[in-house]
Amino acid sequence: MIRLENVSKIYDENIKALQDINLTFKEGELIVLKGVSGSGKSTILSLIAGLSKPTRGEVIVDGKKISKLPDHFASSYRRDNIGIVFQRYNLIPTLSVTENVLLPLFPLNLPRDEMNLKAQKVLKQFSIDHKAGVIVKNLSGGEQQRVAIARANINNPKIILADEPTANLDEKLSLEFIEILAEMKSHNRTIVVATHDPLFFDLDIVDRMITIEHGKML
Amino acid sequence: MSNINFYLLEYAKNYILRHKNKNIFIVIVFTLLVALLCTLFFVSTTVEYEMESRLENQPDIVVQNYKAGRLSTIKSGMVDKLLEIDGVSWATQRVYGKYRFSKEGASLNLVGVDPFEEQENPFIAKLLEKNQLNENDIFVSQHVKELMHKAYYDDYFNFIKPDGKLLRLNIAKSFDVGDRKYLEDLVLVNKDKLREIFGYKADEGSDIALGVANKNELAFIRTKIALMLPNAKVTSKDDLKVAYKNLFNYDSGVFLSVFIVAIFTFFIIIYDKANGLSSEEKREIGILKAVGWRVEDVLHAKFYEAFIISFFSFFVGFLLAFIYVFVLKAPYIGDIFMHDQLFDIKNFNLNVHLEFSYILLIFLLSVPVYIAATLIPSWRVATLDADEVMR
Repeated sequence: MIRLENVSKIYDENIKALQDINLTFKEGELIVLKGVSGSGKSTILSLIAGLSKPTRGEVIVDGKKISKLPDHFASSYRRDNIGIVFQRYNLIPTLSVTENVLLPLFPLNLPRDEMNLKAQKVLKQFSIDHKAGVIVKNLSGGEQQRVAIARANINNPKIILADEPTANLDEKLSLEFIEILAEMKSHNRTIVVATHDPLFFDLDIVDRMITIEHGKML
Repeated sequence: MSNINFYLLEYAKNYILRHKNKNIFIVIVFTLLVALLCTLFFVSTTVEYEMESRLENQPDIVVQNYKAGRLSTIKSGMVDKLLEIDGVSWATQRVYGKYRFSKEGASLNLVGVDPFEEQENPFIAKLLEKNQLNENDIFVSQHVKELMHKAYYDDYFNFIKPDGKLLRLNIAKSFDVGDRKYLEDLVLVNKDKLREIFGYKADEGSDIALGVANKNELAFIRTKIALMLPNAKVTSKDDLKVAYKNLFNYDSGVFLSVFIVAIFTFFIIIYDKANGLSSEEKREIGILKAVGWRVEDVLHAKFYEAFIISFFSFFVGFLLAFIYVFVLKAPYIGDIFMHDQLFDIKNFNLNVHLEFSYILLIFLLSVPVYIAATLIPSWRVATLDADEVMR
């Protein structure tokens, strides 16, 4: 489903983030990319999401060369196929929970009822519906992460990318997140988690563990 | 209406409120600049318009007599002489002047009328068409009637002649001058009675007004009269126009300086805005891109945001200027147009007269410029990789 072929990414200051990466992720798999900070895990997620383009090589999702998509189509691809949970959640702190969750759908201009229904469903699914009207900056870290997960799932994406999802959570909340991952996997989502949190290393739900170091696969 | 995305509109509205300190500052500056520019244009166009319409009611040529360098009376015999000049279609001796109503500290504008003469002033002509002014009557404006009433003159008024004797005339009618503020001190008096009040002899008048059939000959006839009457001051409508224009252009020059300063200030703000976004603003655009917004979606929302701010500011600025000029009569700024001799803005009613080309100019110099200044930096950021923006 997702293929990275000879992918390299070099940033402006000649920083080699990735070098000749070849990876394949199958549909419904939960893969953990592990490695220390700066190893290149997040860059892989960014390339799969179409947030950046590889310097060399191809990123292919469902047969489409994502790395060649013009910006316009990359955004549409992301909206329709990808849900991203960022390390720092990347929510808009002064918007409400519902507004943050619905943010990806705003440009679609869907009927108000349909939007409300989608929001209610996803907020309930991730147990944050009781905070629907609360401004995000007033939520705890765990609640903010649930909002981020709800937003990532609002469009029922096939692929979920999670970048250091437990970095800002205590152990209890991290375990809760893992339960959520398990639930998402049960819906046949392809999930890629970039983390260096040892909690993920011995999980039954993880299909594969890939170690990245200095931009290379080990 | 189907093109309006209300979610993006709502997002833009929220964005403005979320950055309210910055946006309140922009709205205040924007509104004040628009208000200032609109005020300048409203005042100058309205004054120009009123000047032109007043000139329309002036006779083609006015002849005044001077003695020892001072304005003096003019004999009625001069009218026949002037009518002999080819091209002069009519001439009439006018009797008018100021009368000090010392009890109320007012200066009345006395105009002599002869029921058998045609009136050149359309307002007076219309008034006399419907009402006959008898020899011992006066017609007064509402304003003058109120002044006289304060001094207990309700049915008649006693004018004091130069020899100290009183001349009692009946207040036969009061009239409403409408928006012609410059007529509010007007008192219509029988011409012969007015001569008595001013101490003129029976054949003396204040000046002679005349009409010229062919307006192209105005300058030529003016010269002819000036040669014929070396002691007289001959003023043509064109002379008045030039004098008005000179003053108006001078005042407009002052306005133009203010206009340039205002525009310059506005463009400094615009330049600053167009030069980049804060890291927080950039990050937000990055988040929007990351969750699937396209560049045009970001620009769409930014357009709404800029439009709300700029249009609101433009509208409020326009409204403030409208109220300031046409309701409050432009205190302070309007004083630039004060010239006692030729015209005085205080006698101008500042009737609503809007030049849409100027309003459009201010609109185009402000709203689209501000929108562009908002869109350009947002577009620059939105076209970068979302990953790069969020880093």
